Amino acid sequence: MSVIYLDNAATTKMDESLLEVYRTYSCDKFYNASAGYVWGVENYKDLEKARKVILEKLGAKKGDIVFTGCATESNNIAIKGCLREGKWEYVFSKGEHPSVFNVAKRLEESGKTVKYVDLKKDGQIDYEKLSGLINEKTRLVSVMFVNNETGAINDLHRISKIVKEKNPKALLHVDAVQGFCKIPFSLSELNIDFLTISAHKFHGPKGVGALYVKNKDGFKSIMLGGGQEFGLRGGTENLAGIMAMAKICEKINVRENYGKVAILKEKMIETLNDPNIRYIKTDSPYICSFSFKGVNGETLMRALENEVVVGTGSACSSKKAGNRVLQEMGFDNDYIKSSIRISFNYNQSVKEIETAGSLILKKYYEILEKVK
Amino acid sequence: MKVVLLRFGELFLKGGNRKIFENCLISNIKNKLNGLNFKFNVTHGRYIVSEFDDEIEILSRLKTVFGLSSLSLAEEVVADVKSISDYISSIKIGDKKFKVDVKRADKTFPISSMEFAKDLGGLVLRNNENAKVDLYNPEIEINVDIRFNNKAYIYHETVQCLGGLPFGSSGKALLLLSGGIDSPVAGFMMAKRGLAIEGLHFHSYPYTSLQAKEKVLSLAKQLSNYTGEMRLHIISFTKVQEEIHKRCAPEFMITIMRRIMMRVAERICEKYNLGAIITGESLGQVASQTMQSLTVTNSVLKEKVVFRPCIGMDKEEIVKISKSIDCFETSILPYEDCCTVFLPKNPVIKPTISRAEREEGFLDIDNLVELALSSEELVVIK
Repeated sequence: MSVIYLDNAATTKMDESLLEVYRTYSCDKFYNASAGYVWGVENYKDLEKARKVILEKLGAKKGDIVFTGCATESNNIAIKGCLREGKWEYVFSKGEHPSVFNVAKRLEESGKTVKYVDLKKDGQIDYEKLSGLINEKTRLVSVMFVNNETGAINDLHRISKIVKEKNPKALLHVDAVQGFCKIPFSLSELNIDFLTISAHKFHGPKGVGALYVKNKDGFKSIMLGGGQEFGLRGGTENLAGIMAMAKICEKINVRENYGKVAILKEKMIETLNDPNIRYIKTDSPYICSFSFKGVNGETLMRALENEVVVGTGSACSSKKAGNRVLQEMGFDNDYIKSSIRISFNYNQSVKEIETAGSLILKKYYEILEKVK
Repeated sequence: MKVVLLRFGELFLKGGNRKIFENCLISNIKNKLNGLNFKFNVTHGRYIVSEFDDEIEILSRLKTVFGLSSLSLAEEVVADVKSISDYISSIKIGDKKFKVDVKRADKTFPISSMEFAKDLGGLVLRNNENAKVDLYNPEIEINVDIRFNNKAYIYHETVQCLGGLPFGSSGKALLLLSGGIDSPVAGFMMAKRGLAIEGLHFHSYPYTSLQAKEKVLSLAKQLSNYTGEMRLHIISFTKVQEEIHKRCAPEFMITIMRRIMMRVAERICEKYNLGAIITGESLGQVASQTMQSLTVTNSVLKEKVVFRPCIGMDKEEIVKISKSIDCFETSILPYEDCCTVFLPKNPVIKPTISRAEREEGFLDIDNLVELALSSEELVVIK
C-alpha cells in the first residue's frame, strides 16, 4: 500500500500537468523575460499574462502582482517595505507564521513599536483587541488568513473594516498562504493592501511565490537589482515556475474543491472520534489539529510514517521546540506535546481518509499501551 | 624556504617508551596531512614540515594534532652568520617595538646567543628606521633558532597547539555518545590523552527522531577532525525501554536503562577489543549522575574501567570546551535523545545496588542485552 500523505499544509504534490509548462519555459522558451530581443519580449508578454491570471484569481480589481521566490520572501518584502522612520506602530497577530512573526520580533529588537493581537481559544484573532491596538500611529497591520497549524480562518472582512475605520491610512498585509486557491474569497470585497501566496501550497512548484500590492506608491524595495517586478524584487524572473503557478491557478476550482475537502475533514473527525482524542474545531476544511492523550505527537508521527504521513505543527518551525500558536490559544503543554496536524488535498478520496484515520487510531492505541 | 616548526611537550617524559610515542605522533601528523603536498623531517627536538603549497590548510590541520605543544611558521636558512644576517636584513616591521631572541641548540655556532642577538637587532634597526628595540614589552619577537642540522629557523609567532599525547598511543576506548553537550567533550578530552575512540549511540525510534541520530552522526564527524576516522556503533534501545517501562518502578527507569547501556557497552568493548568506556557524566548534574547513581550504574561492569573526564567540571567549563571543538551548536539542537523517553517525574537520586537488582528481577536482562546487541548498526565516519 502506498503512503497516505496528510501533510498538505507543509507542501503539496505538484500537479503533473505542470511539468510540460515547466519544461517549455525552461528548455524551449528559456529566454530572459527582461531581454530586448523578440524572444525575451514574447516571454515578458507571457509573464504579464501570468500576473493577470493571479490577479483575477484573487478577484483584485486594481493593484499588481510581484512574483517572488516563496511566501517567506513575500512576507519579508511586504513588511520591511512598509517600514518608516519615526514613531510608527506595527501590529501583528500572535498566530503568525515564523516568516512574519520573526520579522516582527526583529522590528521590536530594532526599537520599533510592535504590538501583538491575542488569539482566542478557537484560534482566530481577538477582533476587539485588534480594534483597541489601532490608532493614528499604526503604519501596518499583518494578520494571516488561515492559520497553518490549526486551520482557523480569520475574518478578513471584519479585520479590514476594523483597520480601515480606525485608521484609513494604516496598511493591511495578509499572509494568505493556506487560504489562496483553497478558501473562496475576493479582494474586490476587501480592503487589503498586501497579500502573500505560495505556489507549492496549492500543487504548484516550489520556489515561486507572489505578493499582491494594491498601491506601489511609496512602497520601498528591500531587494534591489535589475529593476524587475516594478523594481520591488530584483532578479531574473523564474518564468517556468511563474507560468506553472498561473496554470494551476486556472485549473483549480476553489468552491468545488472546498466542498470535496470539507467531506474529507468531516470523515477524519468522525474516524478519530474517541474519548482520548481531541481536535480544534476550525473553519478551514484543509487543516485539522488533533491531540492524542498520553502519546507524544512526534512519536506518533514517526510510528506512522510508513503508512500515513502527518505533521507536527509548522514544518518551517518544527525544528524548534514547542508550538507557539497552540500555546497562545491557551492549550497546556501535555495537549501541545500530543498534538499532530492533519491536512488534506482535493485529490484525496473519502475512502483513503477513512483508511488513514483507522491506521492512526490503531497506531495510537499501540503506542499508548506501551507508554501508559 | 618557508617551513612549519613543530614542538612537542610531554613526550619527553616518556623515558624508554619515547620512541613508541614519537612514532605514533609522526604517523598521526602524516595521516593528518594526507592528500596535501609536503615533506616531513625530524631534527633534534623538532619536527619540520616543508615543501607545502597550501599554507593555511597545513597550519589548520596541524593545529588539531594531539601531542604537539606549539608550532611556528618559520623561514629556514643555512645556519651561518651571513645567511641569517641576510634574512634578518630583509625583514620589514615599520615602527614596531621589537626584540631579537637567539637560541643555539648547536653550541658550536661561532658567536654567543646574546652577542648575535644584539648584532641582528642592529640590522633590523638599520633597515627599519622607525622601529624601536624593547626587550621587555616587544610587539614583535624575532626568534632565531639555530639547530644541529646546520639550519636556522627564523620566526616571529608561536601558535599554541592542543598538547596531550599522540592520538592512539594510550589504546582504544568506547565513547557513549548521546547527542548532548557533555559526551563529545568527554571524547575529545580522552582523545587528547592518547585514546583512539569508537562511539556508541542508543536510539529509541520512533520515540526519538531520525534527526536525533543524524545529530549524533554530525557530532561524531566533528570529533573525527581530531580523531581521524571514527567508527560509530548504533543500537536500537526501543524494546529495552518499553520493557523497563512496563515492568519496573518508574523512578528506576533511568537507573536500569543506564545499567543495561553499560552492559551493552562492555559487550561492544569485548567484541571490538576496546579497553575502556568513556562517558560525559558530571557529578550531580542530573539524577543519574549522583555518586549513588554512578555507583549503581558502574557496578554492572565486570572488568572495564570507565573514564569520566567531565566528572569534576561545571557546565560552563564543559560548554567552553564544546564551543572550542565546534560541537556546541550541534549539541543544542532540540531533538530528544533516548534518555528523555519515558522520563519519570521523580527519578531516584540515591539508588542502591540491591534495589536496582530487585527491579531487574522483573526483566530478562540477558535477553534484553542480546536484543540490543543484535540491532547494532556500524557507521564509519571519515
